[in-house]
Amino acid sequence: MIDSLLFVALPYLAIFVGVFGSIYRMRTAPMTYSSLSSQFLESKGLMWGSLPWHIGITVILLAHVIAFLAPGFWQSLVSHQAVLQAVESIGLGLSILCLLGLIILGLRRLTSAKLQAVTSVMDLVVILLLLLQVGLGTAIAVHCKWGSAWCSGTTTPYLWSLVTFQPDVSHVSDLPLLVKAHIVGAWLFILVIPFSRLVHMFAVPVEYLFRPPQNVVWTNPRKFSADNQHFVREEARRHFMRAFAGIAFGGFLLSIGTFRNVFSFFFGPRLGREEETELMELRLSRLESTVGQRKLELERQASNYILVGKLAELSPANGKYFIDFKMQPAIAFKGKDELPLLISAKCTHLGCTVGNQVDQQGRILCPCHVSYFDIVSGEPNAEAPAKAPLPHLGWVIMDDGGKVLARRDAGGKTTGAVDPKLRETACVYISKDQEGKA
Amino acid sequence: MIDLDRATHSLTQFVSERFPVEKLNFHSMVEKKEVPIHSMSWGYYTGGLTMFFFMIQVVTGLFLLFYYQPTVSDANISVEYISLHVAGGALIRNMHAWSSSCMIFFAMVHLLTAFAMKSFVKPREITWIAGVILLFITFTFGFTGYLLPWNQIAVNATKVGLQSVEYVGQYLPGQLSEVPRILRETFQGESSVGQSTLGRFYALHVVILPLLLAALLGLHLLSVQLHGMSQGVDQPAKKFEKFISIFLFKDLTLWATVFLGLFVVAMCVPFDSILPYPLLAPFNALGATPQGIKPEWYFFFVYYPLELLPFWVILVASTVVVGILILTPWIFKGTSRRTLGFIASAAAAYLVIMTVFGEQIYEFFKH
Repeated sequence: MIDSLLFVALPYLAIFVGVFGSIYRMRTAPMTYSSLSSQFLESKGLMWGSLPWHIGITVILLAHVIAFLAPGFWQSLVSHQAVLQAVESIGLGLSILCLLGLIILGLRRLTSAKLQAVTSVMDLVVILLLLLQVGLGTAIAVHCKWGSAWCSGTTTPYLWSLVTFQPDVSHVSDLPLLVKAHIVGAWLFILVIPFSRLVHMFAVPVEYLFRPPQNVVWTNPRKFSADNQHFVREEARRHFMRAFAGIAFGGFLLSIGTFRNVFSFFFGPRLGREEETELMELRLSRLESTVGQRKLELERQASNYILVGKLAELSPANGKYFIDFKMQPAIAFKGKDELPLLISAKCTHLGCTVGNQVDQQGRILCPCHVSYFDIVSGEPNAEAPAKAPLPHLGWVIMDDGGKVLARRDAGGKTTGAVDPKLRETACVYISKDQEGKA
Repeated sequence: MIDLDRATHSLTQFVSERFPVEKLNFHSMVEKKEVPIHSMSWGYYTGGLTMFFFMIQVVTGLFLLFYYQPTVSDANISVEYISLHVAGGALIRNMHAWSSSCMIFFAMVHLLTAFAMKSFVKPREITWIAGVILLFITFTFGFTGYLLPWNQIAVNATKVGLQSVEYVGQYLPGQLSEVPRILRETFQGESSVGQSTLGRFYALHVVILPLLLAALLGLHLLSVQLHGMSQGVDQPAKKFEKFISIFLFKDLTLWATVFLGLFVVAMCVPFDSILPYPLLAPFNALGATPQGIKPEWYFFFVYYPLELLPFWVILVASTVVVGILILTPWIFKGTSRRTLGFIASAAAAYLVIMTVFGEQIYEFFKH
């Protein structure tokens, strides 16, 4: 019984009174069809109250209207969890914004002496009603979460049943008391529209968004010009503040992003076990090659003979790199006489390491400045930037017992011979005393 | 006998004209400073841009310093680690590489425009000479930084570079002929390019050269602020803009734009990709020099002539060019801006042609 009264009779009454009352008021008293401006009586509180209130309530009402007019579309939107959460949190934020605005507006009406003069009882009733209504809405957002989703099965069909004149209270009769109160509040609110300043909502000043800003000032000539300058200055200041706020906010976002990335650079990577192992192996192998290099150096300091390789391993076309006593690269080939042919690999031009592949003319190439060196004579080709020949190195062949079988000094004089039987096991060395003469 | 008083007097006069201390105040160096507006005004931005790239080098360099290890066993691997594992490491390294090229490019442009605008005449001789030395320091930065990743190409290129120094010795008389060899061995630190060389180049690249550059840049900027912008064109400019804040804001806008460009390029195009070398292959003492070894692009203008002509020609030519650059304020004192502009354009044309078509020219003459 009470449900029928509140959810069927009251709505029809409210809509009837709201619509016809508004039309009547517009016809009989058109000049009152807007809210009475109080900006020139008190402007600071108005800005901090009116702006948050109007911004908040406009968006919230718009969401209510869309959910009512296009329930299918709305439902498809809020069925995504992310959208639902965004809608709910934005809605809650805006309703708090509305509440704050309303409280400021209310306090302003109650405390400013100038405003008391233009404040009617109805203005205070409207503010109280709005406070109640927005408070209820906020409470619903907190206590009966996901209203934007559940409305499509409850309040939306209820409203449509009213519009189609087949009122069905069953959609809302089981809803929590909070929601019911919010619905009743809405009808009351529509009911008082024609009797209060609320009618101004039908005169939405859309063109305000596009016209240059206006300011209500006292028409005292002296004060007028002073006020005008003040207004211009204020406008410039506002421009500056807007730009500053924009840049500061952008800079803030940028610095958060930058800081995050800069920090992660210095924080360093945390590698997985596999990657870490791989990296360690690589590090170790590089370290080992450095150790090898150091050992070579030490060996060259300490010993008189350095192993180049087995005699049998040497090839006439594909040289074997080794490091001589001066820690310079050199290449070992097998000469035509089946004996080793050792030649320096440090280009006589600018010191690049010469290649170890012999071309068809019996030459090796230094790729840095394209010099071809004959491996037998060591001479560079005529056009080469290198002018001096690559020097040959002397060598010693020893058997596995360390007995010297043959040797050649740096001048090219060979003594001794290698027994073909020992060819497989004999090794080629360079010796310190030969190096000195080279 | 030299008249000591007169000598002292002319010396003090010389110094006080170059460093007018009476202008050493906020009013004349900041408030009053104006930048002329004319057809060559863009030249006034090149120096600032070079400095901006240097600042990027300092910041990205400090970033890299946190991970880079200057030892022969770890240098290459630490660079690889920065590129592959460290968050944003590849970007930072790319920016360092790209920005180094940009810094050298704009330093050269700055030199040429300053030359064409005749910005070196009295009292700006010191500014000019400091600028020329700054350019050489910048090249040395490029040379020393190139070795640090310790890859096959870099080590061999450094060998060549150092050996070229020694090569100069054969053209010097008597005892002097030993000097280049001693110099090379000092920088090399051991008989072959190795750990000592890496350590020395590292010290040069991250401490000594930056300190030198900062000191000289301070001198350069101080004298720029003391003397104000040079006129730049024959007809005195009719319009000027304030250095603070109009020109400064334009400068900053340009820097921001350039930074965005650099950031995007460093993000999308790894520096290695424009130089088709196996840049990540570590140095191997027992490996041959890779085929097609070339220095960085900014050395092409001297590298290709070096390949084509006898060494002594290049030696003489570069000595002459360096001498001319240093003595420019006195040699070209009376030359008209038109002629200077022509010389600068010719030099620019040479640089562009040698850098872009150097390889083709080399191939053409060699084959």
